[in-house]
Amino acid sequence: MRPLTLQRLFLRCAVLAAILFVVVVIALKLGAVQVSLYGLGLDLLHVLLRRTTALSSNYDMIVIDIRLPRILLSIVVGASLAVAGTSFQALLRNPLADPYVLGVSSGASLGAILTLIAEPYLAVPLAFAAVATPIGASLGAAATVTAVYFLGRRDGQLDSNTLLLSGIISTSFLSAIIMFLITTLAGRGDLRGMSFWLMGDLSSSLQPSLHWVLGIGFLVATGVIYTTASDLNLLLAGEKEAMHLGVDVRRVRIVVYIAASILTGLAVSVSGAIGYVGLLVPHVMRLIFGSDHRILIPTSAFGGAIAVVIADTLARTIVAPSELPVGAMTALAGAPLFIYLLRRKFA
Amino acid sequence: MGRTIQVPQNLRRIVSLSPNLTETLYALGLQDLLVGDTDYCDFPAAAQHKPKVGGVINPSIEAVVALQPDLVLVTKLSNRPETVDALAQLGIPSYATDPHTIQEIISSIQHLADLMGASEAGSALAKELQRRLADTQRRVAQLPRSRVLFIVWTQPLISIGKDTFIADALHYAGAESIVDVAQSWPQVNLEEVARLQPDFLVFAGSHAEIMPLKIASLSELPGWRLLDAVRSHRYVHTDDSIDRPAPRLISAIEDLARQFHPEAFSDKPAAAPDHPEKDSGATAPSSPPAPNANALFGASRHLAAQNLQRAEGLACAR
Amino acid sequence: MPAPTNSAGNPLTASDIRLSVEQVSYAYSANPTQAPLFTLEASSFQARPGEIVAILGPNASGKSTLLKLIAGVQAPLSGRVLLDGFITHSLAPRIRAQRIAMVQQDSPLLFPSRAWEFVLQGRHPYSRSLRFETENDINIARNALAQVGAEHLSDRWMDQISGGEKQRVILARALAQQPLLLLLDEPTLHLDIGSQVGLLDTLRRLAAENRYTVVVVTHELNLAAEYADQIVLLQKGRSLRVGPPSAVYQRELLEQVFQTPLSIESSPSGRPRVTILPGANS
Repeated sequence: MRPLTLQRLFLRCAVLAAILFVVVVIALKLGAVQVSLYGLGLDLLHVLLRRTTALSSNYDMIVIDIRLPRILLSIVVGASLAVAGTSFQALLRNPLADPYVLGVSSGASLGAILTLIAEPYLAVPLAFAAVATPIGASLGAAATVTAVYFLGRRDGQLDSNTLLLSGIISTSFLSAIIMFLITTLAGRGDLRGMSFWLMGDLSSSLQPSLHWVLGIGFLVATGVIYTTASDLNLLLAGEKEAMHLGVDVRRVRIVVYIAASILTGLAVSVSGAIGYVGLLVPHVMRLIFGSDHRILIPTSAFGGAIAVVIADTLARTIVAPSELPVGAMTALAGAPLFIYLLRRKFA
Repeated sequence: MGRTIQVPQNLRRIVSLSPNLTETLYALGLQDLLVGDTDYCDFPAAAQHKPKVGGVINPSIEAVVALQPDLVLVTKLSNRPETVDALAQLGIPSYATDPHTIQEIISSIQHLADLMGASEAGSALAKELQRRLADTQRRVAQLPRSRVLFIVWTQPLISIGKDTFIADALHYAGAESIVDVAQSWPQVNLEEVARLQPDFLVFAGSHAEIMPLKIASLSELPGWRLLDAVRSHRYVHTDDSIDRPAPRLISAIEDLARQFHPEAFSDKPAAAPDHPEKDSGATAPSSPPAPNANALFGASRHLAAQNLQRAEGLACAR
Repeated sequence: MPAPTNSAGNPLTASDIRLSVEQVSYAYSANPTQAPLFTLEASSFQARPGEIVAILGPNASGKSTLLKLIAGVQAPLSGRVLLDGFITHSLAPRIRAQRIAMVQQDSPLLFPSRAWEFVLQGRHPYSRSLRFETENDINIARNALAQVGAEHLSDRWMDQISGGEKQRVILARALAQQPLLLLLDEPTLHLDIGSQVGLLDTLRRLAAENRYTVVVVTHELNLAAEYADQIVLLQKGRSLRVGPPSAVYQRELLEQVFQTPLSIESSPSGRPRVTILPGANS
């Protein structure tokens, strides 16, 4: 009998954090511009101390201003998707659930596309121009989440199967609308931009304010989900059983649904729909650490971050100076991994 | 398309399934032969009044057939083989063009004219286009080439490959694209662009209309801010004729050359009257960050929608 | 009927009663405007610590519904269920789980766990939101496994043990909740005879040792007769009789309820024993 303790949790998270750190350092080193780690370290120090004029060269500015934000974005997006995936698998009691199964990404894509179409006709102030698309995407995601919530109820409560079905139907419906819009839109340029949402892309520069929104949103939503971690363990053993063991199933369902949808919505709004992370990272973590959500949630967060940083680094270095979509990288790695896990029957 | 077709001797009725071919027909004076074109054939204005058969990638085969054309004109770049096959099965031949360089564009214009029995008009037009190209070349030949980034889309950053006619057009305009990739529409790493520091960022018309605010707000974004071209608002803006392999492309080349190397054109007045839809706004490379650049930019977008001539605007950009 | 007495033979007083089911009824209709599809008419009984009550009846007689009302997860249409003076339905879920434990038929686990992990879940009502299990919790879980004779299964995976063993572990989890009231819904359904008897023996021992009140839903006539102190006989939502087995097991009554000819004798332990007579009904 070796139950989970705070110590063991910290230890595992520390190991994963160390791995993440190493991966980040490697990612910082790789790219179109060559940097030395020592110079990089000094630059980071200068940036932290706000002495940007002391930066050694323009090249290092490139790393700080372009590469580093991109890596940080990868971390937050990867962690968000992995935690969302874990939550939805628990909520829907389905090992094939991923963050997009309830239609959030389709809703975000539609919101983004509509924003792109409408932008010339709206009087958007300059300050909001750069965030117009992410905001549009978030609104689309929120609308979809709300609609699926109301469709997914049975007897006034969220029901796993009904929720899953409504999610799948919404996804199809929204995808059809997106396809319709894409084929009737003029110009090849528009199509190019759209493929970003469908495949996922981390190359967008974000306004600093967005960074804060993402970071804080991730921490809050994950924190909220974590408070229900032991409830989720029981939910997976059976709803009725959970109820009899004192879990307020109704409350837990709503809380997890909203928080996980927020995580997904935020991630998709800034980086499109990067696949396989939300589906597979939870399974891999379960294989290694077990199904107790009190450890699964934090380790999935780290695992997702590591996975996406690696995928994005590959995406931007393999065919430099061109880039591949990061979703292609995750799919290339994810599909074989999925098959392997399938054969182990989702340990 | 690598296929030989039987072209009827007497061509009376033509349908064009590509906007650039529609333009070319008008430039050759053959618009009376045109009985139908696509929804996107918008230049010259008269082309909009022709009977429409649908989109470029998805025209209505029925509508085409209903017009009883002798020949259908397509391009390999925009039209689909399925469309051609469907028409062929109904006994309607298609003629395809696929130019990749400026010279190929000019010769394909000539071939088209020959096909239509208007060889004279064809060679006259080709000669005129070559003359204008040579003139532009002469002016910019001695000057160092401007290094530019041609932007199709900003997020994600997409540019043009080295084998496209747009890249060739940039050559003729006294510039070169900093993207040296074989892929036609590559997604480019921003780091690479920041390292190469292009002199200008080039935006083409239709896209700029969709994302003017995005362009103006680039200077707010951390990565883009590193580009000198962004900080100094060295944006070159041209209309969508750069996208179309048609006679107007030569005007676009002239326009671009003028914006890249204004000093080479000081003796020549701007914008001939036969280009009512030209639109651009730019500042010279050495000017300090111009606070009115955005105003110019915003104003030009507004005015372009009203089809006003911008000759005065060009002249004042010194 | 003679005046009710407690197990010591003394006349019972109000303070002896732990569970009091008072005239609870329930109705379920798919549509508020339609007539109810199913009704449970007012039923009552009482139980003391250490007692085993069996709710008996054929299928669709309302047994599981009554159990849910007792468990407090469903509000009765009328009447109330009191556990040590508290209305079960009004208790907060956590508190309720500290007093009432339900043993249901085993549902498939999505991601299998080990037996000790499973039993440890029974401590959930006692742990605060972000805390981990304490030394105390672990001891209680271990103890619970010992009490059902399943300590040797502690490290085994739940999907790799037999049906009977699984049932024991599920019972251990309920014991880990340290409840006052133990509810079981058809616990012997998928078990072989040996396991059935073993389970009920364990229940009887636990009820006596730990002073649990146990309510078991079953349709097994003989097991109920052998192990229960009280029987609640239901048919089509109506409780026909409540009392000790000797009072309830009357031939005409049972034949009417179960729609099959029977004969009733006495078993070696003095309890009634029912024998189903073949043929005659179609």
